[in-house]
Amino acid sequence: MTLESEVEALRRVPLFRGIDATKLRLLAFISERTHFRDGEHLCNQGDQGDSAFIILEGTADVRVKTPEGERSVAQVGQHAIVGEIAILCDVPRTATLVALGDMDVLTVSKEDFLKLLKEFPEIALEVMRTLAQRLEKTTQDLAAIKAGQTAA
Amino acid sequence: MEKSLFKFIWKYSARQQLVILLITILSYPVGYILLELPKLITNEAIQGGAFPKEIFGFEFDQISYLVLLCFTFLGLVVVSNGIKLVLNVYKGRLGERMLRRLRFELFQRVLRFRLPHFKKVSSGEIIPMITSEVEDVGGFVGESIALPAYQGGTLAVQIGFIFMQNPLLGLAAISSYPLQAYVIPKLQRRVVLLSRERVKNVRAIADKVGESISGIAEIHSNDASAWHSTDLSDRLYANYLIRFKIYNWKYFIKFLNNFMNQLTPFFFYLIGGYLVIEGELSIGALLAVIAAYKDLAGPWKELLAYYQMVADVDVKYQTVVENFDPPDIYPVDRLTSDDAEPLAGEIVFQNVSFSGGAAGQEVFEVSLHIPDNTACAIIGPDGSGRSEVLQLAAGLLGPNSGRVEIGGKSLDKLPESVIGRQIAYVGPSVHIWTGTVRDNLFYGLRHRPLRPPERKGEAVAEHERLLGEARQTANPLHDGQAEWEDYAAAGVRDADQLDAQALDIVQKIGLASDIYRMGLQSRLDPAQNSSLAYRILTVRQILAKRVEEDKEVRGLVELWDIERFNNSATLVENLLFAAPEDPSISLDQVSSDPDVKAFLKETALDSRLQTIGLKIAETMVELFANLSSDSGLLGTYSFITQDELPEFERILRASRSENEKLGLTPADKDRLVGLAFKLIPARHRLGVLDDATKEEIVRARRSFHDRIYKNGGRFVVFDPERYVAPMTIEDNLLFGRPRVDRRDARERIDGLIRSIVEEMDLRLPITRAGFDFHVGVAGARLSSGQRRRLALARAFLKNAEITILDETAAGTSDEEKALRGVILDLLKGKTLLFGASNLIVAQEFAHSVVMDQGRVVEKAKC
Repeated sequence: MTLESEVEALRRVPLFRGIDATKLRLLAFISERTHFRDGEHLCNQGDQGDSAFIILEGTADVRVKTPEGERSVAQVGQHAIVGEIAILCDVPRTATLVALGDMDVLTVSKEDFLKLLKEFPEIALEVMRTLAQRLEKTTQDLAAIKAGQTAA
Repeated sequence: MEKSLFKFIWKYSARQQLVILLITILSYPVGYILLELPKLITNEAIQGGAFPKEIFGFEFDQISYLVLLCFTFLGLVVVSNGIKLVLNVYKGRLGERMLRRLRFELFQRVLRFRLPHFKKVSSGEIIPMITSEVEDVGGFVGESIALPAYQGGTLAVQIGFIFMQNPLLGLAAISSYPLQAYVIPKLQRRVVLLSRERVKNVRAIADKVGESISGIAEIHSNDASAWHSTDLSDRLYANYLIRFKIYNWKYFIKFLNNFMNQLTPFFFYLIGGYLVIEGELSIGALLAVIAAYKDLAGPWKELLAYYQMVADVDVKYQTVVENFDPPDIYPVDRLTSDDAEPLAGEIVFQNVSFSGGAAGQEVFEVSLHIPDNTACAIIGPDGSGRSEVLQLAAGLLGPNSGRVEIGGKSLDKLPESVIGRQIAYVGPSVHIWTGTVRDNLFYGLRHRPLRPPERKGEAVAEHERLLGEARQTANPLHDGQAEWEDYAAAGVRDADQLDAQALDIVQKIGLASDIYRMGLQSRLDPAQNSSLAYRILTVRQILAKRVEEDKEVRGLVELWDIERFNNSATLVENLLFAAPEDPSISLDQVSSDPDVKAFLKETALDSRLQTIGLKIAETMVELFANLSSDSGLLGTYSFITQDELPEFERILRASRSENEKLGLTPADKDRLVGLAFKLIPARHRLGVLDDATKEEIVRARRSFHDRIYKNGGRFVVFDPERYVAPMTIEDNLLFGRPRVDRRDARERIDGLIRSIVEEMDLRLPITRAGFDFHVGVAGARLSSGQRRRLALARAFLKNAEITILDETAAGTSDEEKALRGVILDLLKGKTLLFGASNLIVAQEFAHSVVMDQGRVVEKAKC
């Protein structure tokens, strides 16, 4: 696996779609490429988040602690970026990520990602856009739920 | 100390000075005859008549007479120069010896200063005094009496010669001397005053520079560089003014002197010429007088220079020595005495008062009786006099009034051989010496050389010479190569037991795990410690087996395998499959090693590596060139630093150039290879290393090994069956690399190593290997907690009857409390004075004293 193939993968991550290849190569270069085996944890809920993960290959299970024990809430797959919230604001990990089968992951540390954002504001813009879209979606969901509640 | 330079010289070298003087006087007649002969040759042999002449019963005709005179001349030339040679060698040696004596005396005086004196002097001032300022004094000593004697003598001989030819000419020759003798000292006086000023100015500069260096973090954190720059700049300006004034005066003196000297020939030719014309002087005599006169200028100049030097050097000597004569300096005996009488019993303070020269450093009328073999807490906040009381008890300070006694002996009268061996003291700020952990641990046991090394043949003579020189210069006769550790004092029999004792102590005071980690990072000489090396190899095999059997572990580590490429290691390690014998050699340096170069050429890998280096450089420049220099990404990730970036851009341009001349230079090629060497494929993922090249690299290893086996030295091959000396102990245990592409591989492998090391009982031997860890300048590679514990371990190893601790393990945290428990346990049955600022601590001690504002305010059983 080389930088080039990672850049290809990064290109497919929605967050980085509008960013040119050189900067993606830099991002790939400063990230650590890590291999996870089946059942290994990428991160644990409640830990201090110090990095984001970009999944190059494989799938991870997202698990959240509930009063009834740990529950799988979602799965994230190839080209997904997870844990970026932890990079942007100092919150503990909101979920545990467990590798389902072998995984290849790019790990970007918090400091490096922030440095990159400072260096290339267009990435920051793209991050803002993505976050805004998510917020928009969350707001809509919330509105829908509220509408449902009042309807009931 | 002798206040004047000449007193110092005369006191320590009178005999040698007399020898020099004697030889010098011996050379006068030779010099005189040497002057007389040419006249004899011209007047008698060449122009004279009445041959044959009879000398000592032999008859000489004109030619043989000429030959005889000329050979006598030749013989005298040889004799006169021979004397000069002998004299100069003798003087040189004397000067160097006196310099050594003076420097040593000054250093010993520094050791004799009482502690409070160091509040007034700074190392920045003392260091240049001992090193550079007295240097001229040494050079001068050999000349001090010889030069005026020799040059004065020569001058006298020559003036005498001129007088003998004609008194009137003689008077002409010295006509300007009285005036010079009057004016020049007056001028010189000014230079002397300026010199004093200059010395003090330079000292202040040295002090300021030293202070800036030790306070460098403060300067940067307060943006005070401008302040310090200006301060120094002002001092440099003052220095410039002084130096320039000195130069001007010196030059003026020279000018005046030259001028007067050149006035003399005026009288000389006038009177001499008149006398020849009048027929009262022969032309031969005038010629000889002129020759002698020309030779006058030399000695006269030398004498003048000597006079100026005396003035200069004497000032330097005095300005140095006046700093080394404080009135309350300890007697030499205190340092040199080797009396080791026991010191034990009650510690008694009788109305002790002490003033450290500032508020909060005073002790008033303190009376204490601390029974022996008990632990007593001395409690008081900073500035309460607590530290002073403890230092008084340790004999580090002397009371201004009253007495401090241990077992009925007054501490102020006891030499350090008693105080420094029977009392262990750890103060609020500890000093760790530059050296290994072991050096620091055993520091308190190194009082005198105890076991001299066995010397044979030339080494014996060499040692005798060293001792001879030491005797000549009043230096100590101790053997620096001997073993100094006092086993008996530590209560052990040999080095092994002492190590065991030290291990025991570091374990008890909680330093063992730190030293164990140092041990893992340290390097072991397998020749010196073959059993440990062997056991490490055993662990390596167990680890290798574990890796082979356990799939989980296998995924975390890449072991060194001569048949396989290690993606988690650098390219150079992969290529050489060996490490430089000297571990301080960096990867950059390896690329210019002749063996490595020849090997790369032979295997044709050099151009391949250059291409790889070029590709890396290209990628780095592409990725990082557009970044701002302060982003910090470059420093963390790039192979290339910010400063090197332009250089590599140039190399890249050169590589694309068609023009041969503008192409890559051999140095550029080395740089590219060096860059390629740093590549760790699994980390950098640049895709510049394909599988075929990896295979080629693996194949090339053997040929490099053949080469180093043949040429010997400089590299050590990674051999799974052998201990690889340049690798750290940890690397030798693992013999591989944790995979860089696995999360926490390093930590998990460390854990595995730790558990196997425990199983194999290797923890202690590795900790012991950590004793050889170099702690850096003044312990800079240790944390402050480690430094403190090391100092504590050092105090315990001394096995002293009395231990005094101040602000050590004196906190209220659980950790400190536990350490206190250990200390009390270790010192059971001995005397302990424990200084702390917190009252709560006193509860743990049966005896206690509470201090406030220099007075005892509370005593319990003391």
